[in-house]
Amino acid sequence: MQQIEERRGYPKLKELVVEASRALARLDADRLEEMALSCQALNRDLAHVDGNALAPLAFESKEAAGDMAVFARVLAATRANLSVMNRLRELRAGHFEYGVPQARQWRRTESRHGDN
Amino acid sequence: MGTINSALSIMSQALDADQAALNVVANNVANANTPGYTKETPNWQENQPISIDGVSYGQGVTETGATSERDRVLESRLDQQQQLASASGSRLTALDTLQALFTPDSGSSSSTAGDIGSDITSFFDSFSSLEASPTSNSLRQGVLTAAKALAGDISNAAASLNSQRSALDQEASGVTSQVNSLTGAIAQLNQQIQSTSSDADAGTLEDQRQEDLSQLSQLIGINQITTQNNGMEITTTSGQLLVSEGINYQLTTGMVNGVTDFFVGNTDITSQLASGGGSLGGYLTARDQDIPSALNSLDQLAYRISTTVNAQNNEGTDYDGVTGTAANPLYIFSQPTAVDGSAASMSVVMTDPNQIAAAGAGDGTGDNSNAIVMANLNSTTSTIVNGQSPTNYYSNFVSMLGATVSGVETENTAQNASVTQLQTQNNALSGVNLNDEASSMTTFERSYQAASQVFTMLNSIMASALNLGDQTTVS
Repeated sequence: MQQIEERRGYPKLKELVVEASRALARLDADRLEEMALSCQALNRDLAHVDGNALAPLAFESKEAAGDMAVFARVLAATRANLSVMNRLRELRAGHFEYGVPQARQWRRTESRHGDN
Repeated sequence: MGTINSALSIMSQALDADQAALNVVANNVANANTPGYTKETPNWQENQPISIDGVSYGQGVTETGATSERDRVLESRLDQQQQLASASGSRLTALDTLQALFTPDSGSSSSTAGDIGSDITSFFDSFSSLEASPTSNSLRQGVLTAAKALAGDISNAAASLNSQRSALDQEASGVTSQVNSLTGAIAQLNQQIQSTSSDADAGTLEDQRQEDLSQLSQLIGINQITTQNNGMEITTTSGQLLVSEGINYQLTTGMVNGVTDFFVGNTDITSQLASGGGSLGGYLTARDQDIPSALNSLDQLAYRISTTVNAQNNEGTDYDGVTGTAANPLYIFSQPTAVDGSAASMSVVMTDPNQIAAAGAGDGTGDNSNAIVMANLNSTTSTIVNGQSPTNYYSNFVSMLGATVSGVETENTAQNASVTQLQTQNNALSGVNLNDEASSMTTFERSYQAASQVFTMLNSIMASALNLGDQTTVS
């Protein structure tokens, strides 16, 4: 636990969660990747400690529960935004594929008149 | 000679085209900080080649105008998210005021709505005190004093809720003129855009329209449908037409059951607007759902306490040996006739402390059996307010209010974050090339993936800590 405390020091879990939400809101990929590595390390360290040492962390976890709900909602909103952006990218990419829309137009016109 | 003239002509046209393009760039720079301005790029058109002595010579290019680099899908998504963020923001403001009303003010010496919880305890505890000395005049007076504090705080809370509801009603009503002004402006811009171009971008006009749409999105929930020649139809989220190309339909108000309702033509669209979004949606949700729900809880509390305590006092014997009758009841509180309005009208009608019936029916004035029953009306096993004791009922009401505020706060934070992301993307994509766009998308995806990892890790850490930590605490 000593090692965890040293590694963690501050911020507390609640502050970590709040910062993650904020970093995600401003799409700060670098900071989020740093945080992912820190969390990985913390998670790894936790595997080697006994339950007694986790009591303070359990208290912090309860404190951070509300902010985790916010983080989950920001993550869900980001997923939805990302989905919109991906559709948009496909739309824009399609716009630059010269020739394809005209070919579709031609096929539509032909079949409509029934003279093919 | 003809060739030299042609070459000079091409150079001259090229210089003209470059100058026009520079003007577009200068316009972009000049408007870099203009809200809603979308970067423009020059349009080039190849001139018809000329043939001299059988040889074809190119005539260069001409600048034919500028096109705004806009993404309607992204703008539309941004507007949609702004509607949600504005709705939860204005609802949250109202809920914060509501919650503050029921928060005890430890620094205040005067009794307020925030003291209702302690008022309930004090009132029923005053009967516990009376049990020990049922003939004590000061203890009897103590019961009436506690009853007055309880009734006063509940009725003041109801009055404050009604005032807040009126204030929200006015706020909501005030939005109407702003909505009409914006839909009118959008209809005019639609006409100008449609007459300016057929399927071409009308640059500044579209920027103005987008700015108006963005403002409108902050006020009410809307859907936008692009029509011929970049015209636009705007409806409420439930489909009521507000703008059809060059025509706008006025939002009007009228009083229905004491509050402002909203109409388009003869159609009452108040409930549609409440669920639609924008600040108006938030105001209406608070006005028509949150405050009435809080008022109803207070009404239930006031009604059950008043009727039950009155009935119990009426069954006992007072200090003068009198037992209440239908004609001359021994009521402590004003007797409500219906649940609705009970909180606002709650008051203490008993003025003589001797009328408190501490003794059981037919018992002597020194008896305390009815005081014991009265005190137990607030015991943990009491079910007098919808199956709960008054204290538990009020405590649950305050907890539920807190949970609602917390839920709306979560939604609002997430929606604001979503708006920030979309604004960042909109700014990044306005006028960038495909490579820059790909880079911007990569950042978006990296952010999402890293955040997903952070979330999963934190979730795992918290789950481990809570499980093992709790076990530790228990053992």
